[in-house]
Amino acid sequence: MTERSLSPSPWRRRFRYVRDRLFTLAVTACGIGVILAVLAIGVFLVVEVVPLFTGSASTANSDAIDIESLWLPQQYPGYDEPQYRWQANAATDADTPMFSLTPLAWGTLKAAVYALLFAVPLALGAAIHSACFMSRRLRFRIKPVIELMEALPGVVIGFIAGLVLAPYVERHLVGVFALVLVLPLGILAAGIIQARLPWCLSKRVPLGWAGLWLIPWLAGLVALTLGISPYLEVLWFDGDMRTWMDQQLGLDYATRNAMVVGLAMGFAVIPTIYSLAEDALAGVPASLSEGAQALGASQWQTLWKVLLPAASPGIFSAVMIGAGRAVGETMIVLMATGNTALMTLSPLDGMRSMAANIAIELPEAAPGGVHYQLLLLCALLLFVFTFCVNTLAELVRSRLTQRYQRLGGTT
Amino acid sequence: MRKLLPRRRLLIEGPGAWLAAGGVALSLLMVLALLALIAGRGLAHFWPPDIEAVTLVSGERFAGQPVREQGLPGQASGSERLYRTGNRDLDGDQWRWVEVNAIDTRTTPEDLVIIERRRWGPFIGRLLRLEGPEAQWTASDGAALWRELEERMARVSQLRHERDALHNHRLEPLAEHVDDSAMSPSEEDELREIKARILALQDAMQRDHVVLESLSGQRLELSLEALIEVKRPNAMSLLAKLASWGEGVWRFLSEGPRAANTAGGVWPAIFGTVMMVLLMSVLVTPFGVLAAVYLNEVAPQGRLTRLVRIGVRNLAGVPSIVYGVFGLGVFVYGIGGSLDSLFFADELPSPTFGTGGLLWASLTLALLTLPVVIVATEEGLARIPDSQREGALALGATRSEALRRVVLPMAVPAMLTGVILAIARAAGEVAPLMLVGVAKLASQVPVDDEFPFIHLERKFMHLGYHIFDAGFHGGDVQAAMPLVYATALLLVLVIVVLNLTAILLRHTIRARHVVQAHR
Repeated sequence: MTERSLSPSPWRRRFRYVRDRLFTLAVTACGIGVILAVLAIGVFLVVEVVPLFTGSASTANSDAIDIESLWLPQQYPGYDEPQYRWQANAATDADTPMFSLTPLAWGTLKAAVYALLFAVPLALGAAIHSACFMSRRLRFRIKPVIELMEALPGVVIGFIAGLVLAPYVERHLVGVFALVLVLPLGILAAGIIQARLPWCLSKRVPLGWAGLWLIPWLAGLVALTLGISPYLEVLWFDGDMRTWMDQQLGLDYATRNAMVVGLAMGFAVIPTIYSLAEDALAGVPASLSEGAQALGASQWQTLWKVLLPAASPGIFSAVMIGAGRAVGETMIVLMATGNTALMTLSPLDGMRSMAANIAIELPEAAPGGVHYQLLLLCALLLFVFTFCVNTLAELVRSRLTQRYQRLGGTT
Repeated sequence: MRKLLPRRRLLIEGPGAWLAAGGVALSLLMVLALLALIAGRGLAHFWPPDIEAVTLVSGERFAGQPVREQGLPGQASGSERLYRTGNRDLDGDQWRWVEVNAIDTRTTPEDLVIIERRRWGPFIGRLLRLEGPEAQWTASDGAALWRELEERMARVSQLRHERDALHNHRLEPLAEHVDDSAMSPSEEDELREIKARILALQDAMQRDHVVLESLSGQRLELSLEALIEVKRPNAMSLLAKLASWGEGVWRFLSEGPRAANTAGGVWPAIFGTVMMVLLMSVLVTPFGVLAAVYLNEVAPQGRLTRLVRIGVRNLAGVPSIVYGVFGLGVFVYGIGGSLDSLFFADELPSPTFGTGGLLWASLTLALLTLPVVIVATEEGLARIPDSQREGALALGATRSEALRRVVLPMAVPAMLTGVILAIARAAGEVAPLMLVGVAKLASQVPVDDEFPFIHLERKFMHLGYHIFDAGFHGGDVQAAMPLVYATALLLVLVIVVLNLTAILLRHTIRARHVVQAHR
């Protein structure tokens, strides 16, 4: 009798077993369902785009579009030479809409390249500094700030870029170009001054805290450079650099141009690249760098010869993920460029990216039509591109983690 | 011997280390500058600036609030200043650039007023007199004029309130009812009576007038009904200005937009954002947690699960506009279109659910933030030591009991972190919303006292889209700028607070697990 009362009744046991099975089943079903729903995005885009090439589009011009006509220059009435053009809204019915994806792809990649040109040096520099030179206390404080930077909405950055930065850069063009030279030299000058300071002063501004105490110094430099910008413009460029560039170099200047987009989107991409690259650098097993330093390498040599090669796959994947983000960013490009589908390399011209193009045109496109399907094709291209880039980066990263574990596994 | 001594070097750590340090400093500088710019401009918008009476060298006079100053284009010296002069109906423009050199004198006389009007933007000038039916007060009456003006404006706003109440609660329901069926005589009488009362109220609102004069001498007569607020910033003390600043902030948060989104407040946008985000988190939390639990606790940990995990993680990196396209194609045109043809066929061709709306926007953003929640929850689940699960199982718990009683409660902070991060991301996303249901100006809030109270099919306003629309589609960008700054500040504040909460939460979780691991 006593044994029976201790162990639960068979019914209760059975009930618990069934409940467990049901629960597991429900979780499994829901989990798989959710994951399938998320993955359905790709399937949906493919299903919607396929009729474009098979010719079963349900609209008036139901002939299939071949891939060549989307990517190669086309002969349009009214033009002498074959052209790359994206002009979806025909002005009159007689006009044929011009669908060439090349200028859109060009604009997308151009914006991303300029953003990376600005972001990669800064972000990698910051990652190197905080992984190798920064004091630990500061490092723990800086990470959340950079995470906050990542969370800033694109629409706010785009607004600042399009309405504040773009006109400002236009008025202080000389100063902005001068900053490219002034800032690195200024940083080096700060380093030289710090090395020359007497010990009692220089220990107050150590390299480990340079991330903080350089800020006022750099702010002063920026203010100074932009302040003397009008004088430089009068001195060198007859008072107006835009006209000078137009006359001497034949360069057009659009207020909202690739340079501004590069700055703004670079700003948005920096935190992504920074935090991933920093993780990769900080994850290198300590035994490696300790070994190098024990052999007499300086901190910089350790970094250059040991840490960077070891962490290079991680840094590569950080840049890849940054590129994926730059390619897909919509609001910044939409607000900081003129959205004209140009195909130039000049940083002073605008562009029209795929993402911005979708945001502008999709609400007006008739569902099922060629225009609609082409915009969906753009979305599919963006999806496939970012998904592949991210998957590659993720695979590289997980390989790297395994390698770190092997290398540092003994400790 | 000399060779062994270290050469005195220019830089102790080499140039690379310093340039790297510059990367950190420059990034931080940019963040700080951006935040300072938004905060400064956003908060300064509500401060009532002094009105200057400017006399130019040419003898011309005008009054305006100085906005900013910048160097003359193409010249090293000299600058020009932008004044907001108001009076768009009198002068044709409410902005004026003046070369600083061309200014003769600037004074701030106390009797200058700035009047917010319902039409034509602000008026800047002098208040000459207030005319009522029984008496009139002129500027020489001093305080009596202002007291009287205040009282009469309060009366007008009360009348307006009465009229709106009558309109919304009596007239509209009646009119709707009448639309559906024929009118009975009693209803006809009621309708006539309400209309008469509304007209009477409107007449009463227009009883009093003010006579205004701009500094250039043009006169203007306005009924008090057309005024929103009369201020004399030059006569205000610091405390009064502070009070006016507070009132400005409150009105910004609690009122609707005016003048094509270039003036007024953002209350509908705040409401729309909050509604959308709430609905989204209700949708995303259970599904995200379930998927994470499945991936981490139930699914066999093989190659396929690893691939799925990487896939889900990568979806967080897919551009948000692609989710917008998916939402438009599947939710709006697909599901919404079928719902319309099934249940709302009598409303067609005007779509009910077949167009962007609150529900579709929330669903799209839920999908967008699902990876965020899954990844955060999974991370939390992975951090729970296996000993906890094994302990529960060893005591005879089934898997579901171990999960529900032991593992999930421990993972709650991680789930919260994920949901907060998801909310922060959703609050700032604009691109997908442009496709699935955000409106430039929503006439109706998605929640009201009409059955079924929450109208999921309605379009809504959103803070982020408000920034885009006011800054890029408005007519007078200059006038909209301060408002856009203020809206941006609000959005950034919300997101920063949410993110800080998430960071703190994550910090405490990590600290807790470290302690447990060391025990």
